[in-house]
Amino acid sequence: MPFDTPAAVVRHESLNRDHFLLTLESPSIARAARAGQFVMLQTRDGTDPLLRRPMSIFRVLPGRSGRFQILYKVVGRGTRYLAGQPVGARLATLGPLGNGFRLPPAGTRPVLVSGGIGIAIFPFLVETLAKTRRRAPVLVYGARTKGDLAALGFFRAQRVPVRLATEDGSVGVRGFVTRLLEPLLAAPEEAAQLELFVCGPTPMLQAVAALAARAGAPCQLALESQMPCGIGVCLGCVVRCPGDDQGPMFRRVCTEGPVFRATEVLL
Amino acid sequence: MKRSRGGATDLSVQLGPLRLKNPIVAASGTFGYGTEFLPYLKLADLGGFVTKGLSLLPRRGNAPPRTCETPSGMLNAIGLANVGVEAFLDEKLPALRGCGTAVIANVFGETREEYVAVARRLNGAPDLHAIELNLSCPNTEKGGIAFGVSPPVIREVVAAVRRAAPGLPLIVKLTPNITDIAVAGRAARDGGADMLSLVNTFLGMAVDLRARRPVLDNVVGGLSGPAIKPLALYMVQRVYREVGLPIMGMGGISGAEDALEFMVAGSAAVQVGTANFFDPTASVRMVRDIDAWCRREGIRAVRELTGTLQFPHGAPPAPCAG
Ligand SMILES: Cc1cc2nc3c(=O)[nH]c(=O)nc-3n(C[C@H](O)[C@H](O)[C@H](O)COP(=O)(O)OP(=O)(O)OC[C@H]3O[C@@H](n4cnc5c(N)ncnc54)[C@H](O)[C@@H]3O)c2cc1C
Ligand SMILES: Cc1cc2nc3c(=O)[nH]c(=O)nc-3n(C[C@H](O)[C@H](O)[C@H](O)COP(=O)(O)O)c2cc1C
Ligand code: FES
Repeated sequence: MPFDTPAAVVRHESLNRDHFLLTLESPSIARAARAGQFVMLQTRDGTDPLLRRPMSIFRVLPGRSGRFQILYKVVGRGTRYLAGQPVGARLATLGPLGNGFRLPPAGTRPVLVSGGIGIAIFPFLVETLAKTRRRAPVLVYGARTKGDLAALGFFRAQRVPVRLATEDGSVGVRGFVTRLLEPLLAAPEEAAQLELFVCGPTPMLQAVAALAARAGAPCQLALESQMPCGIGVCLGCVVRCPGDDQGPMFRRVCTEGPVFRATEVLL
Repeated sequence: MKRSRGGATDLSVQLGPLRLKNPIVAASGTFGYGTEFLPYLKLADLGGFVTKGLSLLPRRGNAPPRTCETPSGMLNAIGLANVGVEAFLDEKLPALRGCGTAVIANVFGETREEYVAVARRLNGAPDLHAIELNLSCPNTEKGGIAFGVSPPVIREVVAAVRRAAPGLPLIVKLTPNITDIAVAGRAARDGGADMLSLVNTFLGMAVDLRARRPVLDNVVGGLSGPAIKPLALYMVQRVYREVGLPIMGMGGISGAEDALEFMVAGSAAVQVGTANFFDPTASVRMVRDIDAWCRREGIRAVRELTGTLQFPHGAPPAPCAG
């Protein structure tokens, strides 16, 4: 069950120019959260920006601290105001929301595929996979440039193999994550033992979903959308899905997602 | 005005045949079918709530993007997606049995016949307290112009629904996208409305400058939220003076003081819309804060506030001021 609580900012670190790691305290949300879920987070008092912003739960901190973290990138007004919130501030926070990832069968190798700030959804999944004794994941991570890669320290500490791609070639292979995925998915007998977990910009989701379909690998996509309410009532956040002779169906990303099987949605 | 000597404020309000335990009603399209809010509040603490607009058949709505934030407001072009009146009666309404608040069904159609058919289906439904007609829907028989912009059409649709659902209090919800909303209010009154609700959203759009495209797939959307509050207050004040039916006012109400301002301007009750999105407990907190405000001000019954606006020169303003 979700909770609507004022969560206290207990830490707020700048990771680089525009990436921030925010630690919030809300025992009810921390206790209920599962990997892949999100919160609706107030960025500032008052009515401008009007709406809360959806943010993935990056990690729930261990122990009974009741703390969880958000990793975010400043992209506009709301995230800029959020970056100015000092330790001690209380931010109205609604969550945990949405359906998280479905965990893979025990023998399947999870391949995490991240583009840009999509990385924020994965640390919680890595910890959950370890706790539930699933096979260890690998991370395939793409960004525009080296400076846009965040949270690499977390994955190293967890001994997750990381393969990097940058569009400008400043680190890892030059190009998109698909360049790293193609060889992984090339052998059909191996592809059948993989499951892809993907979060990133829409063109990346499209490309990765197409590769997965060709290889016959199951694939879960964590989608983004404009979300006014986060709780399924405004019908504003829908994604197009396969329909029937009357046209496409629409499903709510907030309550029916944000994680969908790639075959369930039309991007 | 009666002064209280301690004790609870009487928050109940009466709008024609409809009695509400307090003046705070959650608005259509912002409160789902009610049960979505159960994790956050007790429905019984509200005066009532209005369901998402219901049509005869289920509707899938518009393609995304459907919404866009604007300064202190938002645009939406949901396209009236809903489960349809049958699923509402079979699945949604039974889940509300005993919820302890007034359940109001919002109704629309693309033709007069569809309005009538939905209203007839709802007439006599157990646990339903009223229907609210959304006149902002495009009339497919009149080239897609909204029903609510033509006074003769308003009168006709309201009268037809009145006959189809004689057992239910009838609220007619006015669109603000009209030159003089008082004319629409009079037409609804003449058609047999028990009360009016206003306003629905204002037509607007947003532009994605870099792409040189409209942000919404539907191009045009409805503006709601605090940005529209002054426009809505003015219209409530005007309809209160000109029409003489009880009013549920709305438009940007986000806190108790907004709600009370609408009451002073002529609303008997108010609806809370967009605020439910950015603050899911806004509605019930308003009930508590109105109670506290009345105690502080020594007001024993909140209904005494309705229409108490004092005009500085003894007369309401001319419709146009510059
Ligand atoms: C379920 C979910 C989880 C998310 N998790 C995270 C997270 O963990 N970390 C993080 O940094 N971000 C996350 N996001 C995205 C985040 O919500 C947006 O970046 C944020 O709302 C932008 O707010 P803003 O006011 O700063 O930007 P705005 O001023 O609202 O927008 C700035 C620019 O970005 C575009 N934009 C804004 N939001 C989106 C969006 N959702 N999709 C596509 N374009 C958009 C706008 O059109 C505009 O061009 C998530 C989104 C969803 C739906
Ligand atoms: C996303 C959304 C969906 C809406 N859907 C409906 C609807 O189905 N029927 C209706 O009569 N009004 C609908 N409305 C209008 C609201 O009920 C209300 O009239 C309007 O938003 C103004 O109030 P507010 O500023 O408090 O939101 C909708 C509004 C929004 C924001
Ligand atoms: S954000 Fe409102 S329904 Fe999904």
